[in-house]
Parts: sequence; C-alpha cells; structure tokens
Amino acid sequence: MPSSIRDKVHRHLDICRQIQPALHQETHAPSPDMIDNAHFRAYTRSPHDIGGEPDIPITWEEKEEEVWEHNTFVTCEVLAWRGVWNAEERRRRQNVEVGETMYLGLPYYGRWLLTAAKILVDKQFITLTELQEKMDEVRKRYE
Amino acid sequence: MSKPHYDRNHHVEKATDIGDPQCFKGEAGKPRFKVGDRVRVRNLPDIFYTRTQGYVRGAEAVVAELVYESPPAEDESWDNTENVEWFYSLVFKMADLWPDYPDYFPNDTVETEIPEHYLEAA
Amino acid sequence: MSDDKHDLHSPAPMVDEVSEFEVLELAVRELAIEKGLFTKEDHNRWTEYMHTLGPAPAARLVAKAWLDPEFKKLAVNDGVKASLDVGIDWINSMPTNFGTPSDYCNLRVLEDTPKLKHVVVCTLCSCYPRPILGQSPEWYRTPNYRRRIVRWPRQVLAEFGLQLPEDIEVRVEDSNQKSRFIVLPVRPEGTEGWSEDQLAEIVTRDCLIGVAVPKPSVTANRKRPVRRAVNPYHH
Repeated sequence: MPSSIRDKVHRHLDICRQIQPALHQETHAPSPDMIDNAHFRAYTRSPHDIGGEPDIPITWEEKEEEVWEHNTFVTCEVLAWRGVWNAEERRRRQNVEVGETMYLGLPYYGRWLLTAAKILVDKQFITLTELQEKMDEVRKRYE
Repeated sequence: MSKPHYDRNHHVEKATDIGDPQCFKGEAGKPRFKVGDRVRVRNLPDIFYTRTQGYVRGAEAVVAELVYESPPAEDESWDNTENVEWFYSLVFKMADLWPDYPDYFPNDTVETEIPEHYLEAA
Repeated sequence: MSDDKHDLHSPAPMVDEVSEFEVLELAVRELAIEKGLFTKEDHNRWTEYMHTLGPAPAARLVAKAWLDPEFKKLAVNDGVKASLDVGIDWINSMPTNFGTPSDYCNLRVLEDTPKLKHVVVCTLCSCYPRPILGQSPEWYRTPNYRRRIVRWPRQVLAEFGLQLPEDIEVRVEDSNQKSRFIVLPVRPEGTEGWSEDQLAEIVTRDCLIGVAVPKPSVTANRKRPVRRAVNPYHH
C-alpha cells in the first residue's frame, strides 16, 4: 500500500534525524583546511575503542535472549568454521565498520547479524539483489 | 567477469586438533622482551582497525607474561597470517593511565594483551 | 510490559509483526545454506553445542582449585588443560575441532588473593569465555560497563554491591585479544569442610567475571531488572 509506505518513509526520515549524535560543530563534509590532524584522527578512530570514556551510572540489567540472537551467533560461528571469515574479520566488521551510529544504536547481536549479511555480499557469495529479494520473500511468509 | 577466490580451508587445516592461537606456536621467533621488562606502547595510527586500546598508548607498563604467538589482529582481520609475533600481557598502574585516579589507591592496575610491534623499551 | 514504560529508548515490542532482525536472520541463514557455504546440519550441530553452554564448568573449576592446591597451580598456569578436568575441551568439545572461532583456545584463570581482586571486561567488544561460562550477561556488553570499569573500577564494583578496602589491589583485566578469562576468587570463610558440590554452588557467574565475591549463603547472581525478549529463546 503506497500511502503506508510513504508514512514509513517520513517516519524513517524523522528517526534518522533524531538518532544523529549531538555534535558541537558543523559536519557538512568540510573542506580539507577545516580538518586538522586531531580531527582526522577522531573521525577515523575505531568506534569500538571506548575504554575510559566518561559516562554516568546506569541500572545494570539482565536480558532474556531472543531466538534470532541465538541463531545469529550460531550462523556467525558456522560461517567461520566453514572459512567464510575468521573471528578477527568479524570483530572488525561488526565493531568498527558499522560506524559510530550503528555501533551504539543497535543491539549486540544485531551488529553480528548485519555483518553476517554483509560478508556474503562483499565476498560475492550472494548478490545484494538476492539478499533483498530473500528478505522480501521471508517477510511475506509472515503476512 | 571473474569473482574473487577465497581460500576457505587454510585456517581449519592449520588449527584442527591444535587450536588457535596454539597453531601459530613457534612462528614468532625470539621474543624481544621478557617478564619484568618495562615497555611503552607505541601510538601507531589506528586507521581502519586496531585492538590496541587508545587509553594505553604512550603509557608505560611491566611485562607480566608472554602469552602466545599470533598474527596481530590488524593483519589477521584481512586474513593476513604470515607475520606472527609475540603477545605480551602487560600490567599498567592506573595512575599511569588516568591523571585523575585517586592517590589513595596507588596499587590499582589494568592488565591487557598487546602484540610486540606495538611495544618499545621504556 | 506496560505502555507507560515506553520512552525513546524502549520502542514498542514487535508483537504484531515479524521483526527486521528475524527477517534478516532467516534470510542470511537460508542463503548461506542454499549457496553451500554451510549445511543445515552444520547449523544444527552448533546449536546443539550451544545448548550445552553455561557457567557450571567454570564454577566447578574454581571449587576444585579451592580443594586441591596442585589443581589450582595447573589452573593458573594452563587454564585450557585444567578445563579438561571439568569436562571442557577448548579444542574438541565443539564441532570444529579447532575451538570456537570467536573465543579461541587460551583460557587464563586469574587468581585473586587477600590483597588482589580481579575483574574482567572487554573494552573493545564483549569477549567472554563462552565455552566455559556460556553467553555473556547484557550489562557486560553495555558500552557503559566497558567505558567505566577500566577507569573507575571501584565505583563500578560498588554499584554491583562490592565495596573493596583500600589495601586491596584492584586489577581490571581488559580481554582485548585471543585470551579469555575467568576469576578464581578467594575461598570465603565459613566453607570449611564443604564438598566440591557445595563449593561450586556459591561460585556464581558474577563471581567468575569478578563483580562479586563468593559468600557461604549466596548461590545466585544479585537480583537485577530483566529485559524481556519478544520471542525468547528457551534453553
């Protein structure tokens, strides 16, 4: 239904704006003279490297595990068992290459999952079209 | 157009019945440092990937243990496993890492593992 | 879950539609099988292996080390070898026969003393010794725990209910490469004459991570809020 898709698109644009980190300087692809070495280092750092960053106390929680989280863990391990990647490649992709927003914004195994999908496309084991068609087909099973 | 070919078996062949990092044992040569040595962590560029934390860079530590031999994470992450090196378990004084660490806990420490190419004698 | 608890950080549970995570998970698994990257049987075997995981073997290892000084020496010097005595083969217990890809095969057992207390973190991701301890708790994975424990360990441990005297050295183990860690805490007073089974009961998962210490009357992790799953996994 086109109108409901348009609603989703508009809500998506709103959420995307809301989840952008609160930055204290303009970030509109500045010209090179505006990026000194310290800023280059900051922008290109690995977003997983957070030890020692200040933060406030939170409530420590336990969590029930979702079925998809378990299946994702198993898929990632089996992909490594069968040589599609090694654990170090997985760690880089899911902790660094996802970028800061996804790194902090998605659940732990959510990042594993996205990374498992991406490795299949990046290494040309599947095409992106195959993945997108498969997702569409899987979703339709539940409608 | 031809697609890239990935050797999907080399790790399983190397590590089966041995384990990882055990499968790299003996490939690093003679270690540059020994237990008790004081070392400093180099501040290499962290572009694209690193597992040497920002907070230990430039800080001094004591070698607590030579833990195993392995390719560094930065190489292995792209499946480059030719350059195997020693990994050292290092102990840092909290006071050497954090200028605001309270004086009344002078013995508190952090221990973490760093590959040899990140280390220089202090 | 009641509606009034929802805010920006707790979106409505996805009860009426399949989640994007579930869709993507199924898509990836099916495509990998269709392309011959692994088989359904591979996936099933690993799932069965995962069913066997939990903190019991690590607790047993600690209890054994408390009772047998020779075994304690072995545990501290060669955690992988010591694990065999509690039924965990870091290389062959799992379907690969080269260990679990993500947790490698280098368990290190960190021995606490009356003057030294260890606590484990992985500031870079959430490395955890799954083969001997099971899946990591949610709080261990949070950026908050990983940010703060290496810099404000005493405050964070106090939030977990562990207040440490000044003369004890706190050592934070940042598990950043291929080693995995469990803490071997000090055996508490009041457990004299206890059997291995009795001792293993008081070595909780939290004690093995290092955010708690064993007590003769405590056999469970500290009570914390539990975030419910939409579609929970039942062990």
